Amino acid sequence: MSAAARAPTAGSAREALFEEETLGKAYDARLLRRLWPFVAPYRRQVTLTILFLFPLLLFELAPAWIVKTGLDHIIVPAATGKPAPEGAFLGPLRAPSGFPPLLWLAGVYFAFSMANGAFTYLDEMIMGSTGQSAMRDLRAAVFDQLQRLHIGYFDTVPVGRLVTRATNDVENVAEMFSAGFVALMRDVLRMLGIAVALFLVNARLASYAFLVVPVIAVIAALFRLKVRAAFRSIRVRIARINAYVQENVTGMKVVQLFTREPRNTRDFDAMNADHRDAWLQSIRYDAALFAAVDLASSLTTAVVIWQAAGLAAAGTIYVFFDWMRRFYTPLRDLSAKYSVMQSSMASCERIFQLLDTPPAVQDRPGARAPERGPLGRSGAVEFEHVWFTYGAKQGEKEPDWVLRDVSFRVEPGERVALVGATGSGKTTLIKLLSRLYDVRRGRILIDGVDIRDWPQSALRQRVAMVLQDVFLFSGTIAENIALERPEVGPEEVRRVAEAVHADSFVRRLPAGYDTLVRERGGNFSAGQRQLLSFARALAHGADVLVLDEATSSIDTETEALVQQGIHALMQGKTAIAIAHRLSTIEDVDRIYVLHRGRLVESGRHAELLARGGVYERLHRLQMAGRGVSAAAS
Amino acid sequence: MGPALSASAATVALPRVSGARSAWRRLARYIVRHPVYYGVWTAVTLAYTAGFVAVGRLVGWAVEGVAKGLPHAEVSRRVVWLVAVIAGSAVLRFYSRTLVFNAAREIEYELRNDLFAQLLRLPQSFYGRWRTGDIMSRCVNDTNAVRLLMGVAVLNILQTPVLYVAVVATMLARNARLALFVLLPYPLFILVARAIGRRVHHWSLLTQEGLGEASNQLQEVISGIAVVKAYAMEGVTRRRFDQVNDALWQRQLGLVRTNAAMPGITLLLPALAVSLILVIGGGDIVAGRMEVADFFTFSFYVFQLAFPTFIMGWVVALVQRGAASMQRIDELLSVTPSIAEPRDPVPISALRGEIEFRHLDFRYDSSDAREPALRDVSLRVPAGTTLGVVGSVGAGKTTLASLIPRLFEVEDGKVFVDGVDINRLPLATLRRHIAMVPQDSFLFSATLAQNIAFGRPDAPRAEIERAAQRAQLAKDVADLPNGYDTLVGERGVMLSGGQRQRTALARALILEPSILVLDDTLSAVDAETEAAIQRELDAVFRGRTVVVVSSRVSAVRGADQIVVLHDGRIVERGRHEELLRAGGLYARLSREQAAEQGAAEELALAGAGS
Repeated sequence: MSAAARAPTAGSAREALFEEETLGKAYDARLLRRLWPFVAPYRRQVTLTILFLFPLLLFELAPAWIVKTGLDHIIVPAATGKPAPEGAFLGPLRAPSGFPPLLWLAGVYFAFSMANGAFTYLDEMIMGSTGQSAMRDLRAAVFDQLQRLHIGYFDTVPVGRLVTRATNDVENVAEMFSAGFVALMRDVLRMLGIAVALFLVNARLASYAFLVVPVIAVIAALFRLKVRAAFRSIRVRIARINAYVQENVTGMKVVQLFTREPRNTRDFDAMNADHRDAWLQSIRYDAALFAAVDLASSLTTAVVIWQAAGLAAAGTIYVFFDWMRRFYTPLRDLSAKYSVMQSSMASCERIFQLLDTPPAVQDRPGARAPERGPLGRSGAVEFEHVWFTYGAKQGEKEPDWVLRDVSFRVEPGERVALVGATGSGKTTLIKLLSRLYDVRRGRILIDGVDIRDWPQSALRQRVAMVLQDVFLFSGTIAENIALERPEVGPEEVRRVAEAVHADSFVRRLPAGYDTLVRERGGNFSAGQRQLLSFARALAHGADVLVLDEATSSIDTETEALVQQGIHALMQGKTAIAIAHRLSTIEDVDRIYVLHRGRLVESGRHAELLARGGVYERLHRLQMAGRGVSAAAS
Repeated sequence: MGPALSASAATVALPRVSGARSAWRRLARYIVRHPVYYGVWTAVTLAYTAGFVAVGRLVGWAVEGVAKGLPHAEVSRRVVWLVAVIAGSAVLRFYSRTLVFNAAREIEYELRNDLFAQLLRLPQSFYGRWRTGDIMSRCVNDTNAVRLLMGVAVLNILQTPVLYVAVVATMLARNARLALFVLLPYPLFILVARAIGRRVHHWSLLTQEGLGEASNQLQEVISGIAVVKAYAMEGVTRRRFDQVNDALWQRQLGLVRTNAAMPGITLLLPALAVSLILVIGGGDIVAGRMEVADFFTFSFYVFQLAFPTFIMGWVVALVQRGAASMQRIDELLSVTPSIAEPRDPVPISALRGEIEFRHLDFRYDSSDAREPALRDVSLRVPAGTTLGVVGSVGAGKTTLASLIPRLFEVEDGKVFVDGVDINRLPLATLRRHIAMVPQDSFLFSATLAQNIAFGRPDAPRAEIERAAQRAQLAKDVADLPNGYDTLVGERGVMLSGGQRQRTALARALILEPSILVLDDTLSAVDAETEAAIQRELDAVFRGRTVVVVSSRVSAVRGADQIVVLHDGRIVERGRHEELLRAGGLYARLSREQAAEQGAAEELALAGAGS
């Protein structure tokens, strides 16, 4: 493992560095098309909210018309003594006989407003839940992709960043539904509807009212550009500040040790001031946009009044006030929506970048698992001239090979041990066998079939791997052993635990097999964790076992149990074990000695001892060490 | 409407040391620094309110001109007035927003600078007690919440009541009965909005929790991805994730449902008011008790007041959250740094490098009920000699090393450098002449050259390269995409453990310190490179003091003096051969490690031979 400096490509490093700083377009058709499959299952809801626009528009426009009716037909004639204009009350606006007409109108007005409120509520509900549902699916898709990617990917991308993709980024995309693209589209449609209605009521007055609109549109567009630029620099700067603080807090020891405080204070102040200044600028633009929209809507009011003289009645003026106000409202929070769009699009882009990363280890089309033979007859493992490197693609120069031309064969039911110094490639070798990585040259066969021709899931059903650092999931002990395989019931869990000598310590726990694993197994000793992983491997029912014996000194209490556990686990399986304590492996069928990625010696324990080579010297050293520690304790 | 809901998630961190009063007092100190902003803003706000009231009256007046069919000249005159006042109001509105928002940004800026300065002052013991996440949340979320409090919240909290008073007064003067009817629902509405706001808050907390659970699951799966794949557990983990994902989705739907109520209810408020104006006001006009103008004036007011009323519930929440955040910031700023410049520093500008510990007991104050990390440690390292410190994990080696550059506070009279109590040495002098390479070899997101020159930002390139050479890093640099200008650290190229350690070493070497402290610095460096570094250090540091802390006996073999720590005590001391002969803990460690390391060396020989 320690061998390779897994330097990612220059491209991904750049991506990592500037990630927060790329704030692209607010609208990207390509990305929206990519997003469509996630929205498509909910297209009925989307269609519904679009259809909702019409009743909503009606309910929004009708109330002002009702006031107009009241003003023109009842109130103004009474106040000025002028006769009411021609034309009857629109259908439902005529009060039933004997009912006070103004009270009737007020009632209808309120009823329409209630309907408007109800529809708005439904609309928001459908819109919001559609967004959230689509996002749930997107989150699941990100999760699936993460599980598909090969292990090497996780060596190059920090965990935190991947978690962000499935959480914060997805949340950002959801915003697109509530406040972003969809809202923007609907705003435009609404404004169009209102404009058409105004022209229908009084075309001349409407054309005067809309005199201001082009002006305000130009102003809004100008400010939008300014605000956009300002927002971009703000986001870049705040990201920089947060990253800087985070880094200083994490590395404070180094900062203080190297008396960097004055310099870092200066640097921070500069960043902080930059951020503030960017904000001050954006506040100016934003307030100007606010004021301009305000001014425009008020000026429209003035123009309408001025032109209405002799042209229209008071009621019409009221309608214009009300509708124009509704027309201008969306313009006001345009800048807010715009920035939401930007960050949604950026998140969207990042998510799809992750989804588009091709997994380096993939099932071949038509991959099929060979039949599993009877126990003891299946599980032959063969390495044929295997070469491997963690480094980038080969080509530039001689890569940093971790395994060089490794060939060996293990017969079904045979037990072999791998021996070698740290960095000699032992761990890599067993990871290749589970196909966590793919070999670079040569091939690995199980039962005569290249493991790349197996479906990964089938391969891993047949190969059980026990790694040095045991990973326990949150859940109970039983769950960690069974890993939710239906065929492993409570009895089977107990049976395998007993077989690997884990049962005795588990039963001593207050909750037994239902004891919860805390913080990745922090409530168990290293030895106990090992025993649990043996039980897990045994329950897996594989016929090939690969095992990386723990180097970390295990408490003497469990040490003996672990040794017995390993023996029990290997029983009847093709077993490849990495041994750190040579005493474990004295009775294995064959021992392979790895050095710098090459096999340098092989044979049985006694043969290797007799040969007087590397293995013999290693063995002598370890025995001496044991003797001393035994004497000391 | 985007209430900053994330801030509240981190509100449950530490017991409240300083109360709300201290927080408000501190905030007041920031506010009074900006008298011009707030003074001018108050004047502007009052003027704007007057303009607002006037616009409402002028609208009515102008419309009445049309309704009554007055001559066009008269209508035009009224419209000109209206336009003039509108234009003035827009300008005032612009300033009332920018002034208060700018002030908020200035305060945010000052707050953030003060927080950062405080972070730089706080000692390592603080960072042992406080979690990074908590500190970050105070610097990011809480400054944000205070900024919202000082900006949007202050703007509305002060402006809306003034607007209300002015509008109510005008309406009462025009038609008291109608005014009462129309305004009645408004205060009621604030209560409704607050109730909904509380529901929203409740659901967003749940949503935040759900998000947290989802990230935990993800984190777990990614950390255990090897096991997930090896045991073909993808289906299982997917089902587990689906559960969390669905729970999160349910909560988000709850939030959507609550949020959805807001806009609908908001538009009902002016609707109710207008229907009342229609029936009561209309009736009054028909009866001759009211002018047509007032119909428009009243309508104008009820619509204009709806939005500020609508956001009052949110504003109140902002104030509460801002206050809580200010308290959390105040807590952090109120921590007194326990390591500060000595009050009567001994004026020393250079160090010879003698180190002495006298009967030193040390206990971390962060973890309660823990054993002392060091007990009765007495030790003298003459200037220019090498000290080796060995022992197993938890023996106190790192603690001992960290006390030399005064990373943790010790009592007076325990640790001396050049015969002077380190508590009386100027911090800058002490740390400039002691270079420590800590265990974790943390690198910053900067170029490799900047990282090496961290303690001497102005070091010439030649010296940077020499330091890299000495740390056996130079040949790795050639493989990096941009050599010394390659970005490293969290956001740059990922260096291997050994490369990071050698960079950290180069960072210390460039200081040319009098005392070099290496805390298990070369654990990830292979034996060959380690030997090369050792040779280099022997040459460079001849005549300087070096403290080598290691769990590996091989790293301290050549030291002038070796101490073996066990449970915080020095249990053996002497030179390598002496300790081996003594046959104690050191000898045992040495043999055990020889077996493991010997394997590597033997194999290296075999490999070379074959």
